[in-house]
Amino acid sequence: MIRLALKNFIRSGGVRVGLALLLVAGVISLLIGRQFLDRQTQAITDVRANQRTDFARNITIHKDELGLLLYYLKFSLVNQALPLSGLSLGQRDVNPSIQSVTIRALESQRYDADLANPANLLLGNLDFSFVLIYLFPLLLIACCYNLVSDERESGTWKLVVVQQPNVMRVIYRLYAIRVGVILGVLAMLVAVAIPLLRLPIDATLASFVGISVLYVLFWAAVCFWVTSLRKRSSVNALLLVTGWLGLIVLLPTLLNTYLVTRYPTPEALETTLEARKGYHEKWDTDKQQTMQAFFAHYPQFRSIPPPKLAFDWPWYYAMQQLGDDDAGKAANALRTKVAQREAVSQQLARFIPPLHTQLQLNELAGSGLGNQLRFQEATGRFHENLRLHFYDRMFRDVPVKSEKWNRFNVQTFHDDAPIDALTGLLPLLLLTLVFVGLGWLNFRKTATMA
Amino acid sequence: MLQAINLTKQYAPDAPPALKGLNLTVAPGEIFCLLGQNGAGKTTTINLFLGFLQPTSGQALINGLSVTDHAQETKRYLAYLPETVLLYPNLSGLENLDFFASLAGFALLTDELRSLLLRAGLQADAHMRSLGGYSKGMRQKVGIAIALAKQAKVLLLDEPTSGLDPKASNEFSELLTQLSADGTAILMATHDIFRSKEVGTHIGIMRAGHLVETLPAADLTANELEAIYLQTV
Repeated sequence: MIRLALKNFIRSGGVRVGLALLLVAGVISLLIGRQFLDRQTQAITDVRANQRTDFARNITIHKDELGLLLYYLKFSLVNQALPLSGLSLGQRDVNPSIQSVTIRALESQRYDADLANPANLLLGNLDFSFVLIYLFPLLLIACCYNLVSDERESGTWKLVVVQQPNVMRVIYRLYAIRVGVILGVLAMLVAVAIPLLRLPIDATLASFVGISVLYVLFWAAVCFWVTSLRKRSSVNALLLVTGWLGLIVLLPTLLNTYLVTRYPTPEALETTLEARKGYHEKWDTDKQQTMQAFFAHYPQFRSIPPPKLAFDWPWYYAMQQLGDDDAGKAANALRTKVAQREAVSQQLARFIPPLHTQLQLNELAGSGLGNQLRFQEATGRFHENLRLHFYDRMFRDVPVKSEKWNRFNVQTFHDDAPIDALTGLLPLLLLTLVFVGLGWLNFRKTATMA
Repeated sequence: MLQAINLTKQYAPDAPPALKGLNLTVAPGEIFCLLGQNGAGKTTTINLFLGFLQPTSGQALINGLSVTDHAQETKRYLAYLPETVLLYPNLSGLENLDFFASLAGFALLTDELRSLLLRAGLQADAHMRSLGGYSKGMRQKVGIAIALAKQAKVLLLDEPTSGLDPKASNEFSELLTQLSADGTAILMATHDIFRSKEVGTHIGIMRAGHLVETLPAADLTANELEAIYLQTV
């Protein structure tokens, strides 16, 4: 029976076109992922080479003055892109994956990054997670919306019911065929993605695939429930497309609006202004006062002599430091609010499966906001370590040539935040079971009705 | 084998009953033909025996079991042929037969499937053609083959010869006679007075949800039956 039902399903022209389009969209998304990873690899290679060249040139030019040299030298920290990020680009295209910073004020450098292609940002990326979250449910809906109802309308259901008294078994099999075929497309795409994106076969990939499969099953469960309501095929289609629109477009937009209203971030502008003001005001502030404020932050440098000249580097870097200090409150508030937004959206998304899936896939791929926040924290630590190292050297007038500059290679940030697979899988699993249960209850009453 | 006891169906509280207090029995080997105008209650009767409708009162029994209380079990005894057989257009006639036979739990070999289709009157060259290109009569023959494949003790037929050409209709009548001789109880709703006289053992005439006449077919000529029918309806 399954073999023939599968034949009947696959021989439909619409199904074949739909599956082919999904497959093509999936392969394109994988190629886009490959392109993204190649760009990342190239950018990292370039930044390594550029840092070496930049160091060599500046050390030659500013060989007598460490303070001046450090004004120019940029030290890079790379947020290593996991191969999985080729499947779910997340925020990787809007947030920098490489931070190149001098030891001057950090806050004004944090967001000093170029966007690769603003036109892409406008359209959004056709990455694998887009294909999974937007297109897979659409095809599933197209394949399942008229299951049973179409047979009722055409009259074949009467024969089915008479031939097979256990109609639930028929319904399960019809669903299994449709879901199986669509999961087959998913499996094919994953099979292509593994060599193409050089994905390591590990627990993270297993979680990624697990969430993807559960997401497809969630939509299959929604279709199962809607088709169990015993409405006409056209009504089923309307309900499912409305559900798709609501869950994929409307609810995430509402949630975003809520988060933006609930956690406004005027600090974003404030941080920039405070940092600039904090630093620029210090040009007109008494030098001694600036230095005292700096010593309050770093008491270990109290021993350095007060500035004697109109300009000296310790005083200049103290001004820079105080720019960060002045902006510190707003910067911390901004990071706290963004983190709160992330936490609340993670919690509420548990009830909005497409959003939950997107967030979880991004998190697993290291392309989510969480990763970006952790990278920003790492950038702060990286910058602070550089400062502490070079303040000490600069304040002690250590000659440029005595520094081992070749030690300062591009550093890499490895996001080792633990992966909680259960948090990713459980909401999808529970919602799937709820809809399957509701559908089962309905079908039990109505399946044998012709 | 097939019994209706005061079987009544009212679709809406304010509507007149579509079937009112139907009592009939079809024993193994009997062919009971229900005649009547459109809306007389013939299809409602068939649907009640199939379990597609719940009776308002009374009982529909198959092999002594209530259709309402033993929905799954009673269907095991049943085969059904609707007025218009609508099957899966993406499958061939043979594949459709294979599908519906396997639903009923019969895993038949291709030769057996072909034999059933031939017995139902479908030419061999059409067996592997997609059902999308079948005429109504050809689909009807596949439907007959599906009913035959189940080897059911009870056959419910709703205007089964609709769409069949005279020759095929005649072959169908012969088939019913054979099945009846093998002990199958057959209930057939039809408008075809002459066909019902030809194959039926009993003829019931329905009007406005009531079975107003039950006649033994053997005691009547076709002309007499037509006269009674026209007087009754």
